Amino acid sequence: MSRREGSLDPQADSSISPLPHLEAKIRQTHSLARLLTKYAEQLLQEYVQHQGDPFGLPGFSPPRLPVAGLSAPAPGHAGLPAPERLRLDAAALSALPPLLDVVRRHQAELNPRAPRLLRRLEDAARQARALGAAVEAVLAALGAETRGPPVEPAAAAAAAAAAATDAGVFPAKVLGLRVCGLYREWVSRTEGDLGQLVPGGPA
Amino acid sequence: LLLLCVLGAPRAGSGAHTAVISPQDPTLLIGSSLQATCSVHGDPPGATAEGLYWTLNGRRLAPELSRVLNASTLALALANLNGSRQQSGDNLVCHARDGSILAGSCLYVGLPPEKPFNISCWSKNMKDLTCRWTPGAHGETFLHTNYSLKYKLRWYGQDNTCEEYHTVGPHSCHIPKDLALFTPYEIWVEATNRLGSARSDVLTLDILDVVTTDPPPDVHVSRVGGLEDQLSVRWVSPPALKDFLFQAKYQIRYRVEDSVDWKVVDDVSNQTSCRLAGLKPGTVYFVQVRCNPFGIYGSKKAGIWSEWSHPTAASTPRSERPGPGGGACEPRGGEPSSGPVRRELKQFLGWLKKHAYCSNLSFRLYDQWRAWMQKTHKTRNQDEGILPSGRRGTTRGPAR
Repeated sequence: MSRREGSLDPQADSSISPLPHLEAKIRQTHSLARLLTKYAEQLLQEYVQHQGDPFGLPGFSPPRLPVAGLSAPAPGHAGLPAPERLRLDAAALSALPPLLDVVRRHQAELNPRAPRLLRRLEDAARQARALGAAVEAVLAALGAETRGPPVEPAAAAAAAAAAATDAGVFPAKVLGLRVCGLYREWVSRTEGDLGQLVPGGPA
Repeated sequence: LLLLCVLGAPRAGSGAHTAVISPQDPTLLIGSSLQATCSVHGDPPGATAEGLYWTLNGRRLAPELSRVLNASTLALALANLNGSRQQSGDNLVCHARDGSILAGSCLYVGLPPEKPFNISCWSKNMKDLTCRWTPGAHGETFLHTNYSLKYKLRWYGQDNTCEEYHTVGPHSCHIPKDLALFTPYEIWVEATNRLGSARSDVLTLDILDVVTTDPPPDVHVSRVGGLEDQLSVRWVSPPALKDFLFQAKYQIRYRVEDSVDWKVVDDVSNQTSCRLAGLKPGTVYFVQVRCNPFGIYGSKKAGIWSEWSHPTAASTPRSERPGPGGGACEPRGGEPSSGPVRRELKQFLGWLKKHAYCSNLSFRLYDQWRAWMQKTHKTRNQDEGILPSGRRGTTRGPAR
């Protein structure tokens, strides 16, 4: 990577993968992230619709409680070097699938006659895995180190599920809203980070 | 390992207040009352109930419904509750003075299920069983209600539960295999929700009495020589039942191309061809056939009609003479059909045979005469010259 963040320098280290292949991979992953951002928005809308008001009302603001193993993109994220941003994107995308599975299980009990919502939640888990893997492939192609997956994400998600279930239905609804919101934030963040690497994209 | 900070659990050192609502996620009958409390905890201690308020499904509840029980507890009294707005539960939320959410509880207000009824079942080619039912008298319980179709052999065996739901509508189930013949089944539906359960009456049936099959395949419709008011319909007996002993009834329906009104011929028994008569000349007709496999293995019950075959189209030959409307099916053997003209003709021919000893008269002769008449009219028109509109100047021959 050149010192000028957000661009690819063809004069850089020859250990970097052939440029056209890397550019193609970045473009494809960016396109995937853009598509999934749209799906994530649809998922969120579908989710709030089935929880009932005040979920989905303008100004609805439940406490933004931390979710096990995952937080929102930090305010300073955009200022980090590109490989570090992509590493954080990949880590978040890796942590999301078990949380989305927990939300799907809750919703299967709360909204069993909402097949489209349940399908979207199932698809989101798969899509997060796919995008995370694609981002890691870009990192590998850039010659940057990829961090391993978060420690026991499935166990963290299981703990979250148990806690939410014990606390009641309303907290479970809030948890689902939080997870769907985080999914949208991270997919959108990934799209933005990859967009800066696309040749001809914003620096 | 971070744990989820669940709503209601205080965050150390944050200065934030949280609360607990009681009861959590209650289930209530429509029209009943609810007494709830919101108890505030806080850091620093001394959280107060002053200024707290309630919302239900996002709407602020009137202050007169609340009262402060003590320094940290706000009570709520709701009467004559309506059914839940969504199946995931109504959202009852306790808010701080600044509007922030302190706690939530989901209310489930509804009715217990009523007895499902009107169970009907059918078996496709004796291979499976599909059943449909109607949920309770009113259907709407405002709560998620689970329906379970159960079945067992009448005199022995254990209860089984159907697993493939919503196959032909929201209240249906499909049993794909392992069904016994010649022995009755008992079938019923159980409905369950948070407020109770109900069970339908038991339906007893033998698979052989509720058999349906596929529509007849290979339906062909063709002209009958030059006869302008007739079409011949041929089909094949449903192959799935070819190895089984049964009597087949067929129904034919047909309509003019640009009409929505079907005419039905329903006395077509155990044959695979039929002639439609009394049709309009020069007209495209759509034809469909369906089958009822009654009497399988000696069953005495009427079977169940199959779906109609895909429409097949054909046109009658064109003629200037308008043909009669309506029609009936004539078997290829020339036996009488159900049309009024032909019925009367049948009676006349029968009388002739009895009283005038005209044994050679038959419908075949009549059809041949009609075909001859049409040819004769066409030839005469060609000799006399047809009017530009295609209308005849005069008509000759017997009226139809």
